[in-house]
Amino acid sequence: MTTEALTPTGRRRIDAKLIRHIAIRYAMVIVLLLVMCFFAYRSARFATPDNAITILVAAAPFALIAIGQTLVILTGGIDLSVGSVIALSSMTGALAAKTFPDQIWIAVIVSVVVGLIAGSINGFVVSVIKVPPFIATLGMLTLASGAAYVVGSGAPINGLPESFGAIANTRVLGLTIPVILMIIGIVGLGIVMRRTAFGLRIYAVGGNPLAAQIAGIKTGRVLFSVYAISGALAGLSGLMLASRVITGSPTLGQGYELDAIAAVVIGGASLLGGRGTIWGTALGLLLIQTLNNGLDILTVPAYWQNVIKGILIVAAVAVDVWAAKRRV
Amino acid sequence: MSDRIADRHPRDSVPEALSTEAQPVVLECAGIEKAFSGIPVLKGVSLQLQPGTITALAGENGAGKSTLMKIASGQYRADAGEVRVRGELLTSGSTQSANRLGVAIVPQELASLLDLTVYENIFIGRELKGPFGLRRKMMIEEARKDLQQFGLQFDPTRKMGTLPVGIRQIIEIIKATNTGARAILLDEPSSAIAEREVQQLLEVMRALRDQGVALLFTTHKMEEMRAVADHVVILRDGGLVLDAPMAAVSDDDIVTAMIGRELEDLFPDRPEHTEEVVLDVRDLHVEGAPEPVSISVRRGEIIGLAGLVGAGRTELIEGIFGVRRTTSGTITVDGKTIKRNDPFASIGANIALVPEDRKGAGGVLSMDILDNGSLPRLKSFTTAGWLRQRARRDAVSQATESVRLRSRGLGQSMETLSGGNQQKVVFARWLTGTVDVLLLDEPTRGVDVGARSEIYRIITDLAAKGMAVIMASSDMPEILSLSHRALVLREGRIAGTLGPSELAAPDVQDRIFRLASGLSATPTTGIPTFTNKEDAR
Repeated sequence: MTTEALTPTGRRRIDAKLIRHIAIRYAMVIVLLLVMCFFAYRSARFATPDNAITILVAAAPFALIAIGQTLVILTGGIDLSVGSVIALSSMTGALAAKTFPDQIWIAVIVSVVVGLIAGSINGFVVSVIKVPPFIATLGMLTLASGAAYVVGSGAPINGLPESFGAIANTRVLGLTIPVILMIIGIVGLGIVMRRTAFGLRIYAVGGNPLAAQIAGIKTGRVLFSVYAISGALAGLSGLMLASRVITGSPTLGQGYELDAIAAVVIGGASLLGGRGTIWGTALGLLLIQTLNNGLDILTVPAYWQNVIKGILIVAAVAVDVWAAKRRV
Repeated sequence: MSDRIADRHPRDSVPEALSTEAQPVVLECAGIEKAFSGIPVLKGVSLQLQPGTITALAGENGAGKSTLMKIASGQYRADAGEVRVRGELLTSGSTQSANRLGVAIVPQELASLLDLTVYENIFIGRELKGPFGLRRKMMIEEARKDLQQFGLQFDPTRKMGTLPVGIRQIIEIIKATNTGARAILLDEPSSAIAEREVQQLLEVMRALRDQGVALLFTTHKMEEMRAVADHVVILRDGGLVLDAPMAAVSDDDIVTAMIGRELEDLFPDRPEHTEEVVLDVRDLHVEGAPEPVSISVRRGEIIGLAGLVGAGRTELIEGIFGVRRTTSGTITVDGKTIKRNDPFASIGANIALVPEDRKGAGGVLSMDILDNGSLPRLKSFTTAGWLRQRARRDAVSQATESVRLRSRGLGQSMETLSGGNQQKVVFARWLTGTVDVLLLDEPTRGVDVGARSEIYRIITDLAAKGMAVIMASSDMPEILSLSHRALVLREGRIAGTLGPSELAAPDVQDRIFRLASGLSATPTTGIPTFTNKEDAR
């Protein structure tokens, strides 16, 4: 991949050209490292193992919806509904936990299945009725949000059994369950996208739906499945969030879809579909979470945090756009 | 309508001032080198464009023509060498600065604003403004004059999207000259447009030449070079192999320079076909067609589908494959009836489709050769959904070798391949498995001579192996030389069928044209035929 940097003898020279090549190829990694260096320089509390765990814990619920979002965006679509699906699944999961306090697995299944159903409805509306994804999932955003309030008659569901809280707060090998799920999700889907026919079909449908259809790919089925997966992952994310605070809340996950979309785009995916990777999304997610965490540590006021975050997100993508042009 | 322009055609009408020593060269490329990922694409190419001349830039697909144009127009940065426009160095590698210096490119894929009107397209970016906003009336009048100057007689308030591609292209050229371009680069201007529009395009090019503009255009067609070019420049494998006045070289010189060897017969011999029917289409009614169609194709047989643009050839082929809706009829392959309207079932029955629009329907440009090559037969490279990388790599590399694909490797992105090589990938991806029925739609459109003869060989080889082939083509020699039988379509109906003896008859082209256009069978004079379009000049 660095053929230009090879001398005629085949030895790699370290010169301006090679450095430029690396800078262009790994622009986003470099941005992330610079941001980390800045925070580490400004605060001794940033570069500690404990803080690294804190970042991962905060990232986990976003990671689940961001990887689902990546699949959707790769097909050229978008899923705006994941934030409210989180709210709905946290409410239904909490309700199930309250109703069956001794069989907590029911709550787990209910949360995930509610997410899966919401995602499947999105998938059906997009792939069969052919409503544009933006509109279809905007509808689901409103619907699921409303439904989340309906479940608890407008109020959060409290007083849940201990065992419900154990779901997200149990540690295995020093990591909480959501962090483990995040790692499994990223590595698993990352491999699936590279190594399976399913992954290849997603790229094909996003890159050129007509060509994909002529190659015998059932494009509708691929579209349906990415929305269903995105929904199920949002359901899982809702369960984790509700379990962490041992409460089901209709405002949980509000606005999360935007951070997830930002992570995917920062990760280098094209909103037109066909281009992007799970690894890129993981990188984008890490950048956003590092910013959240670092600005907190520096005790930047919350409103200013948003201002800075907004600027940095656009700047990060601008760097990527600049680098992408020079990759040709 | 183009007479007026043709009158201006004689070369001595070039304004004297433009050919003086003051600006002898409009655009000069000197020692241009360019490599992509270490693979050289241009190896030191130099070329000069004089005002009031037309230069044809020819060469096989992948020879570096498009890259050279993109460097000359500032889209790519050259690794070495320089581009000078009227003596000024083009440094920044941006199209804007090239535009400012007076170089404009009309790309293969036009970037017209289809929902805006013609005059808005012409004036976009330099609108005429008055104290009360846009001076639309004035712009419309100016645009009308511009159109008339190039022999186009229609209302400039028409929506760009309602015009054929060829006319849109001419409007893009008008726009480029209006912004003051003194050198215009046309990348394969004739590859996507109808025959009549090509003539119009050539007229426009002549008119511009007479205004002192320097034109450079890429083409695969000898007749176009002969018709307008003063000069011909030929690239092969990134190097310049011929740079000569058009009058000084013969057709054979050009072809030899392009492919680096003598061109053997363009068309290979037709393979023998058997009597066993492989594909049987019974009363297939394609949605929108006036009546159902029946065709049967035998093993090893090549059926040509002739007809004018819009005769329903593409629709029929897509209907058989299942990507266009059909409402009734049966399709059987080897005696087994296959499900209609289901491309997946068609592929399962060993039917393959190489569509007309390579970029739109053939390949996925954002993916690499390996992924494109394995798309139609993913099932045969997977175990429980997991790709078997070795098997996939082996099969695709074997298939691409069999079509003699020229690439940097299976990891090369489809969008960086030349047109002919993209077409080869679209062919090769089916050849990783058995194909019984091969459906081809304009298999050599926009493909150069060398790759063209290779594609013909691929087609006849595949037929010889026992495939039944249906080939839709607008290229008359292709129909006449490759097919065993030709069906002529008109308005969705089969207007006539020609067997081997009829295809060999001397009057066959005239006959096909009559069938295709619905004229009476009695020969009359003055009707244009498909070939020798240039003889009229």
